[in-house]
Amino acid sequence: MQLPTASTNASEQEFVELRLAQVPLRQTVELVRIDLPPEQAEPLLERGVLPGCRICPVRSSPSGDPIISIDGSLLAFRKETAACLCVRLITQFRDAG
Amino acid sequence: MAEQRAVLVGARVASGAALQEAPSPLVALIGPPNSGKTTLFNQLTGLRQKVANYPGVTVEKKVGTVALPDGGELDLVDLPGVHGFSARTLDERVTRDVLEGRVEGIRAPDALVLIVDSTRLESQLMLVEPVLELDLPTLLVLNMCDELEQRGGRVDDSHLAERLGVKVARTSARSGAGVDLVREFLATEVAVAEPPGPVQPRTLSNIPRGVALPMVDAFKQRRARVSEVVAGAGFRSPDPSGFSERLDHVFLHRIWGPLVFLAVVVLVFESIFTWAVPIMDGVELVVGASGNWLTATLPDTWFRSLLVDGVWAGVGSVVIFLPQILVLFLFLGVLEDSGYMARAAVIADRMMYRVGLQGRAFLPLLSGYACAVPAILAARTVEDERDRLATIFVTPFMTCSARLPVYALLIAAFIPDEPLLGPILGKRAAMLLGLYGLGIVAAIGTAFLLKRTLLKAEPTAFLMELPPYRVPTLRSLGLRLVDRSGVFLKRVGKVIFTVSIVLWTLTQFPRTELGPPPIDDSALASIGHLIEPVIAPLGFDWKIGVGLVTSLAAREVIVGTLGTIYGVEAAGDESFELQDALTDALTPASAIGLLIFFAFALQCMSTVAVMRRETAGWKWPALQFMYMLLLAYAGAFIAVRVF
Repeated sequence: MQLPTASTNASEQEFVELRLAQVPLRQTVELVRIDLPPEQAEPLLERGVLPGCRICPVRSSPSGDPIISIDGSLLAFRKETAACLCVRLITQFRDAG
Repeated sequence: MAEQRAVLVGARVASGAALQEAPSPLVALIGPPNSGKTTLFNQLTGLRQKVANYPGVTVEKKVGTVALPDGGELDLVDLPGVHGFSARTLDERVTRDVLEGRVEGIRAPDALVLIVDSTRLESQLMLVEPVLELDLPTLLVLNMCDELEQRGGRVDDSHLAERLGVKVARTSARSGAGVDLVREFLATEVAVAEPPGPVQPRTLSNIPRGVALPMVDAFKQRRARVSEVVAGAGFRSPDPSGFSERLDHVFLHRIWGPLVFLAVVVLVFESIFTWAVPIMDGVELVVGASGNWLTATLPDTWFRSLLVDGVWAGVGSVVIFLPQILVLFLFLGVLEDSGYMARAAVIADRMMYRVGLQGRAFLPLLSGYACAVPAILAARTVEDERDRLATIFVTPFMTCSARLPVYALLIAAFIPDEPLLGPILGKRAAMLLGLYGLGIVAAIGTAFLLKRTLLKAEPTAFLMELPPYRVPTLRSLGLRLVDRSGVFLKRVGKVIFTVSIVLWTLTQFPRTELGPPPIDDSALASIGHLIEPVIAPLGFDWKIGVGLVTSLAAREVIVGTLGTIYGVEAAGDESFELQDALTDALTPASAIGLLIFFAFALQCMSTVAVMRRETAGWKWPALQFMYMLLLAYAGAFIAVRVF
């Protein structure tokens, strides 16, 4: 897997896009895109799940659905939704900045 | 905006007389779910609150009176918790309509109190912008400030106030710290303000007015502004709560999670059916004793008969359920206030998803075991409209506590008290469990059917915020119980009261020379004979028929009705027992048919009424009523032939 470069100027296309469902626990990622129709995306947007925000899967529910940490809150949804969230890894460099 | 508010403040100090003439100002309390909104509402109003329904609107609103430091008062309305104003859910629609002043029976609010959880300030402040667009005096309440500081976070409220152009108060609504600041705001900024002129048309939405932006961009821009303000105010988010993490480690564990979930459900049941019973027996004793006292004290007139045989017997039969309902609500309150309910919804979601519902439906369905009415109201948190409709459609299949006395009476009369599986399970308990199971099967089957036909839709997103665990406060639990028991007694009491009087009256006419007619010649019997042909195939006679008709008001009424009918028939017979009378009137097969009828039929006016309000029309309650009646009739018809 090609890791994203440290350049903050790089356009989004240069990053390897992952689905949130593929991200291991405790790995903070940045949300790139929500591949859901507007009426399904709106509840996510209202709770701060916006492109550009940082999310971190912290736990799995007993049935394997993700529980993420965002802005200090915990949010649970289904893995079907997680499969529609495009994310990219954040490098150490970007994290520091 | 700030100048305008200053004008409002300094406008004039209304004289005491003027204050009394004008209606006291109305302040709306809004905020996201789990921000401590209701706790603050309770702190401000105490017991001076009432739950009201307005005709024609689907709103159960809580309005309370706030006593101000200067002796004045104003009204505070507690709006449902919302994340935004998309009007996607019923709660969001209600909140928006009240704020826009479009709800009949409640005027547009004169000021706003916006409460947010300061431990997650950034996402919570997304509500600020649409609320500020309303241009009303607004107080921003940063709640849970104690928790923020304990966990190493901080925020500069004066900077926040300056940037947003509103007053800001730091509170901890749970402990009551800072609540005086809210009162002070209400006293200085609202109570003395100019009485509002004609209300300007207001509109609320997630997307700023007059901006044609794609939704995602509108949200991103707002978020950027919020982030800037929050960063400017030196906000530092708190460290994660180690306590909550440790609890989640168990409650959401792959193996322990479902086990704890199961234990909680069992505990709730155990509490309703075991712990509440002694209290119910106590209430029954009091009702019985007071009835006897009335009989002994009052002269033997038609009034005594009406009061004792009609009202006391009828209303008393319902009041007996109050302890059970209170115990259930106490448990639900603890589960909700502690934060466990959100975890339970997450665990239940997969299961519910398979039958076409979702995790948020878990709370309403569990509440349905006490009473379908509050359960249907609780379903408002189900975000997707189709999911909500499916949930409230199947809720009445949950075996509510009103079915219990019917089950208890018929099972005791017809099922022998014999062991079925050795000492573990008796035949009677098995029958009762079977009836509970029947309700669940019907609910699952119906939900499955609905989501494949009438409510067919793409699977919707399930989103659940998991608040940090907190110890519920006694105050909040107590207020919840007072509130719920009031609603229950008012709603159900009214119906039973009316039915009891009507029924009693029908047994008293046409009068004979000796007074009331024999029950078989009464007006009630004539009505009963009308429906006899319909129920004859089920093996029911006209007396059971009358019971079925009166139980349309509320299921447990049939017990009182049969008591009245057979009681009047056996007048003077000291050894009269309703159970014996029933054993003579029904065959065992018909009795099982009757039990199954009660498991399925929607005999509850309160449920029908609340369904009409919650679906804004007669279509769904009518469909639900007919569907459940058909299922009940078919079930009883088959049972009579099989057993």
